[in-house]
Amino acid sequence: MNNFSQQQQKIRSAASRLLADGTVRFVIGWAPTRFAERTTVLFAHTEAEAQALVWNAHCTAALGKYLLDHRLADYAVGIVARGCESRMINRLLTDHQIWRERVYILGAPCPGMDAERCAGCRERAPVVWDELLWDADGMPETGGRQDAAPTNLDEATIADVGAGLALPAVGAACSRPLDTDTSLRSRFFRAEAVEGLSAAEKFSYWDEVYAKCIRCYACRQACPVCSCRACYVDMDRQGFQGKQHSAADNRVFGVTRAFHVADRCVECGECERVCPMGLPILGQTQKLIKEIEALTGEAYVQGMDAEEENFLGAFDLDDKDDFL
Amino acid sequence: MDVANRTNTAAGGEPKILAFCCNWCTYTGADLAGLNRMKYPANVRVVRVPCSGRVNPQFILRAFARGADGVVVCGCHPGDCHYATGNFFTRRRFMLMRGLLEFNGIDPRRFHARWISGSEAAKFRDFVSEVCAIVKGLGHE
Repeated sequence: MNNFSQQQQKIRSAASRLLADGTVRFVIGWAPTRFAERTTVLFAHTEAEAQALVWNAHCTAALGKYLLDHRLADYAVGIVARGCESRMINRLLTDHQIWRERVYILGAPCPGMDAERCAGCRERAPVVWDELLWDADGMPETGGRQDAAPTNLDEATIADVGAGLALPAVGAACSRPLDTDTSLRSRFFRAEAVEGLSAAEKFSYWDEVYAKCIRCYACRQACPVCSCRACYVDMDRQGFQGKQHSAADNRVFGVTRAFHVADRCVECGECERVCPMGLPILGQTQKLIKEIEALTGEAYVQGMDAEEENFLGAFDLDDKDDFL
Repeated sequence: MDVANRTNTAAGGEPKILAFCCNWCTYTGADLAGLNRMKYPANVRVVRVPCSGRVNPQFILRAFARGADGVVVCGCHPGDCHYATGNFFTRRRFMLMRGLLEFNGIDPRRFHARWISGSEAAKFRDFVSEVCAIVKGLGHE
């Protein structure tokens, strides 16, 4: 915990500095809520707001997707980035969704958060950054973009929205048990839990999952891979799936979503975090990545650099076709 | 999958098999099978697609969700694609899709792919007959 508070101080002072010298218009980080075991996302526009940024084991929200709201911005945005956020940023860069020079990345090697999906995480240190806030084991202290020179813009007149945020008192009890078991587990733990079942059991398992799905599309909304400006699920006309609430149509959506992100998934687990029904949908994407690794015989981790090739966007003349 | 508007596959009925055939090879092959008066099961419904690469994974999900008992994707042999590389992408997509369907509890024996050229009418006939027999053996889900 001591580590967390020292690191929190580093985040605050770095954010204050960036805001003070006009490097960025705001810094994306976390803020406390009235529940001790929850944090929320904070867009700190002022130095006072930067002092409200927190860093603790409950910073479970991944921040990368918020950059997409500023993809046409003519100002720079600061972001606290752990392993997952940095892979999300690489993902968005690969997909030409954001400009590198408009993002100032504060690298924050992650000790692992209090969430089940974080326990399967293998890439906790950021892979891209402008400034590394603290050292991670085996990680060089410098790196990332050296020629930083972030675009400092004339419009960096930041509106002062008040003397800091009026944040509710921290420490109130929350009775909802969050992910309690956070012991380290395998990378594909969700998928492996289902793989052992028989075909009929798998079918009814997913039926149960998708019967609960309310198709709010939060998983799509939170996903850094889902950057299409128009999505088929928003179409007025009935397309691939019916509009009615049925397990079968929900399943079509769920499997489609998984396949759509299959080879680009950065395994941040946001889809599962934002699901209001608490559905274990990470299993679908984990399974696909596992399949890709089995087919290619190589490790497949997305978001490690901004120039990578996707499995489904390429081919090899010697690809397996054992279906013949 | 259990969907209300399934019409003609009552228990014990004939299975429905949907075949996505590429315009340039397999569809022509199926056409040739017809011209040669070859017999193959009427369970197969052929959908002509410009290329096997056109087969969106959603087509397959949609087919299963709407009551198809089997889905078949056919295209040109590797290297013969009219669009040069379409079927190479299909190949990767198919391999991945099969794994995902299996993970979702859909028997992978309901989902097949073959490379069938425009002259391989007999291969088309044999293949769809074989798939039909397999799917019949699996029964209706």
